Amino acid sequence: MAHHPVLASGNFLVPNATFIAEFIAFLLILGIIARYILPRIQGPLRERQAIIAKQIEDSEEAKRKLAEAEQAFKSALTEAREEAAQIREHARAEAQRTVEELRAQAVEESARIVARGEEQLATQRGAIVRELRAEIGSLAVELSEKIVEQRLGDDARVSATVDAFIAGLEAHDNAQAGKQS
Amino acid sequence: MSTTTVAINITPGEHIEWHVFGLTLNGDTITATLIAGAIILMLGFFLRRGASARQPTKLQLAFETVTEQVENQVEGSIGIKTAPFVVPLAMALFLFIFIANLIAVVPTGHHPEYVPPPASDVNLTYALALLVIGTMHVVGIRKKGLRGYYGHLFRKPYLLIPLNIIEEVMKPITLALRLFGNIFAGTIMVALIAALPAFILWAPDILWKLFDAAIGLIQAFIFALLTVIYFSSVAPAEEGAHH
Repeated sequence: MAHHPVLASGNFLVPNATFIAEFIAFLLILGIIARYILPRIQGPLRERQAIIAKQIEDSEEAKRKLAEAEQAFKSALTEAREEAAQIREHARAEAQRTVEELRAQAVEESARIVARGEEQLATQRGAIVRELRAEIGSLAVELSEKIVEQRLGDDARVSATVDAFIAGLEAHDNAQAGKQS
Repeated sequence: MSTTTVAINITPGEHIEWHVFGLTLNGDTITATLIAGAIILMLGFFLRRGASARQPTKLQLAFETVTEQVENQVEGSIGIKTAPFVVPLAMALFLFIFIANLIAVVPTGHHPEYVPPPASDVNLTYALALLVIGTMHVVGIRKKGLRGYYGHLFRKPYLLIPLNIIEEVMKPITLALRLFGNIFAGTIMVALIAALPAFILWAPDILWKLFDAAIGLIQAFIFALLTVIYFSSVAPAEEGAHH
């Protein structure tokens, strides 16, 4: 092989043997690119496209899950609110009932106390009346005796005697009342 | 004041030639092709080492961008499932042509350049176009059968049959010459700019080389895109059924 810079003979649009060399050279380049280089470009490219697709899918999945969770949260909140309202309502009713119950109980209790007092009073009155009845006979007799005795004296003494008797009766009554209370 | 005539000596199609077994090889084109190929393979193998799905390197992302673009293009016009082989083909074409065109940015100062953009030699563009169109015909015949595939050329109106045939024949030639023409024009531009006085030539040179790099990118893209489009006309077997 020698370098000979010479003027191109004839038309330069007419190919020479270089054509074959160029053809083979390009076939070689094509073969190496197709076999060794392109797969190494397409491999990671596809892989990356797959990764991106996966990420998009994942993010959509996450979005869906978030929406679901929000929905669940909202429904739980609504439920909780309803439940709270229910509990409040229940408690109010319960309190109302308790108040009414206690009020009824108190009314009943007071009525009972009043009745017992009345009953006690009646019993005491009965006892006093009975006692007085028992005593009134003897007292009358005693008074009569004293009157008769006084008649035998003077009228002045008679009236004094009556006064004394009444005073004595009052004293007795007072003593009786003091014993009662 | 004497007028100076600047002799611009542009010799299009001039190559460093190697003579091997009586065959003439354009050594500069082959060298540049090998360099472009080596750069792609080096980048590719560098990428293989560091490729990971979770922590992609910058190089990996660059390759992935190209791959994704090509895959989208193939998916949109043919369907990757229908013609999975079009992806590596279009990708190799894009990467190779793009890197090969970028070689034009590097000057060697030699005349002719030691490493010109290889697409400025028809040998490369013919080879690429032949590969694409050849594969296209093979795939078409395999999918639809000889009659089914070439049948569409001979349908009514009969007046258009010659045009259909010419269109089919011209496909590889237009594909090859479009790329060649663009890149070759770039080298001519560089030669013209090089003929300017040294104190001024850097400015248009910088501008042109930036522009040329963009052209290189666009041409690589067009070549790959046309490959996908050509394949889309033959690959879908289902569509051929109701013609």
